[in-house]
Amino acid sequence: MSIKMPLPDAGVLGRRDEIVADLRRIVPGEGVISSAAEMVPYESDALNSYRQPPMVVVLPDTTEQVAQVLKYCHANGIRVVPRGSGTSLSGGSLPLADAVLLGMGKFKRIREIDFDNRIVVTEPGVTNLAISQAVAHAGFYYAPDPSSQIACSIGGNIAENSGGVHCLKYGMTTNNVLGCEIVLITGEILRIGGKALECAGYDLMGVITGSEGLLGVVTEITVRILQKPETARAVMAGFPSVESAGECVARIIAAGIIPAGMEIMDKPATAAAEAFVNAGYPLDVEALLIVELDGPKVEVDELILRVDAIARACGQTTCQISNSEQERLLFWAGRKAAFPAVGRISPDYICMDGTIPRGRLAEALTRIRELSEKYQLRCANVFHAGDGNLHPLILFDANLPGEMDRAEAFGADILRTCVELGGVLTGEHGVGVEKRDLMPEMFTEIDLNQQQRLKCAFDSQGLLNPGKVFPTLHRCAELGRVHVHAGKLAFPELPRF
Amino acid sequence: MDILKIRDAADVEQAVQAALADERPLEIIGHGSKRAIGQTQAADAVLDLSALDAVVSYEPNELLLTVGAGAPLADVLSLIDSKNQHFAFEPMNPARLLGTGDDAGTIGGMLASGLAGPRRVKDGGARDHLLGAHAVSGFGETFKTGGKVVKNVTGYDLCKLLCGSWGTLAVMTEVTLKVMPRPESQRTLVLRGLDDLAAVRAMTAALGSPYDVSGAAHLPAAVLRHPDSGMAGVGDGRALTLLRLEGIDASVKHRAGSLTAALASHGAVDGLDDDASAGLWQAVRDVTPFAAIGAFGAWPVWRIVCPPAAGGRLGEALAADTGGAVLYDWGGGLIWVALPGADDARAALVRGRAEAAGGHAMLIRAPQSLRDATDVFHPQQSGVAALTRRVKHSFDPKDIFNRGRMTRGTTP
Ligand SMILES: Cc1cc2nc3c(=O)[nH]c(=O)nc-3n(C[C@H](O)[C@H](O)[C@H](O)COP(=O)(O)OP(=O)(O)OC[C@H]3O[C@@H](n4cnc5c(N)ncnc54)[C@H](O)[C@@H]3O)c2cc1C
Repeated sequence: MSIKMPLPDAGVLGRRDEIVADLRRIVPGEGVISSAAEMVPYESDALNSYRQPPMVVVLPDTTEQVAQVLKYCHANGIRVVPRGSGTSLSGGSLPLADAVLLGMGKFKRIREIDFDNRIVVTEPGVTNLAISQAVAHAGFYYAPDPSSQIACSIGGNIAENSGGVHCLKYGMTTNNVLGCEIVLITGEILRIGGKALECAGYDLMGVITGSEGLLGVVTEITVRILQKPETARAVMAGFPSVESAGECVARIIAAGIIPAGMEIMDKPATAAAEAFVNAGYPLDVEALLIVELDGPKVEVDELILRVDAIARACGQTTCQISNSEQERLLFWAGRKAAFPAVGRISPDYICMDGTIPRGRLAEALTRIRELSEKYQLRCANVFHAGDGNLHPLILFDANLPGEMDRAEAFGADILRTCVELGGVLTGEHGVGVEKRDLMPEMFTEIDLNQQQRLKCAFDSQGLLNPGKVFPTLHRCAELGRVHVHAGKLAFPELPRF
Repeated sequence: MDILKIRDAADVEQAVQAALADERPLEIIGHGSKRAIGQTQAADAVLDLSALDAVVSYEPNELLLTVGAGAPLADVLSLIDSKNQHFAFEPMNPARLLGTGDDAGTIGGMLASGLAGPRRVKDGGARDHLLGAHAVSGFGETFKTGGKVVKNVTGYDLCKLLCGSWGTLAVMTEVTLKVMPRPESQRTLVLRGLDDLAAVRAMTAALGSPYDVSGAAHLPAAVLRHPDSGMAGVGDGRALTLLRLEGIDASVKHRAGSLTAALASHGAVDGLDDDASAGLWQAVRDVTPFAAIGAFGAWPVWRIVCPPAAGGRLGEALAADTGGAVLYDWGGGLIWVALPGADDARAALVRGRAEAAGGHAMLIRAPQSLRDATDVFHPQQSGVAALTRRVKHSFDPKDIFNRGRMTRGTTP
């Protein structure tokens, strides 16, 4: 682990037994885990090269318990790391040695399904997929669909503002949530938004979404649900170069078509996926493009023809169009399993998540290829091509000396390239610890200070999930100081009327 | 009062620093088209951003537009229209409602007010389309948030806060927005003569169908009776319930047929195509039945946002209790209420009922004296109000931007 985390507070560690006893009074029974052996499963999330046993694990099952735990930690200066299902790819729920790991796994109940208002009110520990399953009998579903949807929690989705292959058309988590109950580090319980399409006042829900567990602990969420489209079909087109596949994506968008999903895999990713699921992917193409259209049959059929015509014009060399639901799912099976598929061909891999302007896809790929040679590590690429979100998978073997460090350096260079090309460090996986120290590539100190000031409005002592997102931590008092530029004329030189 | 004509983004920073030095509050305006909305502000000077009007870049293939915050909305709309694109959230033009100049309004004002039109039910609001911004904070510093790509979770999403903050957090100077392809065709299904409850039931059924309804509004007979309602020629005096379908032609036709069949138990359905349909939705978006020069022009107007299915009961009760008129958008989730003058626009009654229904109410049109006596924005529960104040101070610690606009009683 090459990243520095905040130094543990020796005073807190010294009082560990007392703290554990106090927490047991708040959350009785099995809800407090303090033995080293039982805490092992909580040592890391899906960024598993980073590991750290927490001071203690607490698994509350009511909002009131969450409030009391946080109030206690606040009063005693104890850090808290919230955790959902632990599938974060950026180390968002990585524990700290002196912190309470607050697991939300017991918040497993869907509280209300309201078809008339097209919403579900749910506890945060419910998995993403379970929400869709709970409303499927009435033809509804919850649109954002991260590949981890059988495991990841909706609370984690809120914290990371997760996306999925369908967010091109249906939006990310932030576009599909209306309200929440959130507990601040002081123990105060607040309700933000609700079943209405907009909340009163500032859009606090908007900034809580994607805040990576740094602003508060979410204990209830109201999400929007949609009626399932009548049909969905997919086109799978092979191209002789990633450039031509990228051009095809650009022309589809330019033609005014927003597909439900639009994904590219490069040759190594296609080969790994095909070996894993036998989806019938062509193995002699440089890039495989999957485009899904959904809606009424007449619409889907017409758009499939338009997409096919564009793909031809862009020089596609193979083309398959799904003629049954089974076939459509088969097209996706390989793409959805791309990470585990790559996991089979390499002892270890890390998944990058930069976004670039769509038009610079080819350039980005060339640069990634050059970096792959420089670092002497293989790289398989899958992209959410429709929105320019890249997932280069860097393959390495952690048992070989130096490979892990080389893989991380390679990854960092890819993300720097994304920023250079006009893009950003992360499209959906979050900053966490993984990209924390790269934040200055994209933001100035002033930009980051403004973000930390917002953090201060929620958590003035910096006790919630410290060491994530921000490369340097400042004290709130210092950030809140206004530097008046003395000697300034009142509104100098400006034309006035 | 000084009006400071900003020439570029550096001017904004300078002006804010000077204002900070003297703790002189600033009123932030684009064209000033929405100045009549909000509480009376305390301002020592006006910061006029209308010269920040550049189109920095427009890339239709990337669905991206970057413009100065002072860019005129009307010009930007015609620019993107020339590439068959639009802002999917259908920004409201409140000119007729407020009785102000027609084509005024800037992109900055559009975002800061965040007033979305009928397509809100399907495609979200302004907050769902602002991707990145440069802004000057109340610390006198220029910061950046978000980016110039459609998908991004790097750092807190401050864009969400800027939308709908009515200029009280920071002065946006340059913004990047997501634009979307304009649908090739549209059709509006019309049900006639439904009462409010029946109308909301029909809209609920339509919005809960797979037919991708992009607008659901109900205009009770009372608001149509006036010749200047903006709806003349559409009806025969009976209430209108409108459902919009958009997309490629074949799809619109198909869905119109399916939805008509699905709504059979709610009443007879007829239809309006492209131009007629578009005109109607513009009137709904801009609430022209309550236009300042119209029959309800002298009445204060509330904008209530509530859970859609609760809208019918709420609107009907408000109309009955106040003798006012109501119209519904967002399938019942947005209710416009015009009611006969009273010293406080019946604030306690309107807010009590809105809250009971799970919603909130904003007094969007009222004479200044009335606004001075009433909270324009819905008062928040104390914990949320306190957090809101801390958030405000995290951007603007000396309260120099639009002081008092969102909270009554904070100005002398
Ligand atoms: C195989 C695989 C595929 C994936 N595919 C995708 C994908 O397609 N798209 C995508 O976007 N992501 C994907 N992810 C990443 C991950 O699944 C998401 O980020 C997910 O939202 C994390 O949810 P979680 O419940 O596991 O959260 P955790 O990993 O437990 O926590 C993530 C963050 O959320 C915070 N948190 C959790 N619960 C709460 C709460 N109740 N209140 C406040 N903060 C909280 C934590 O502190 C942490 O910062 C994938 C991961 C894997 C392993």
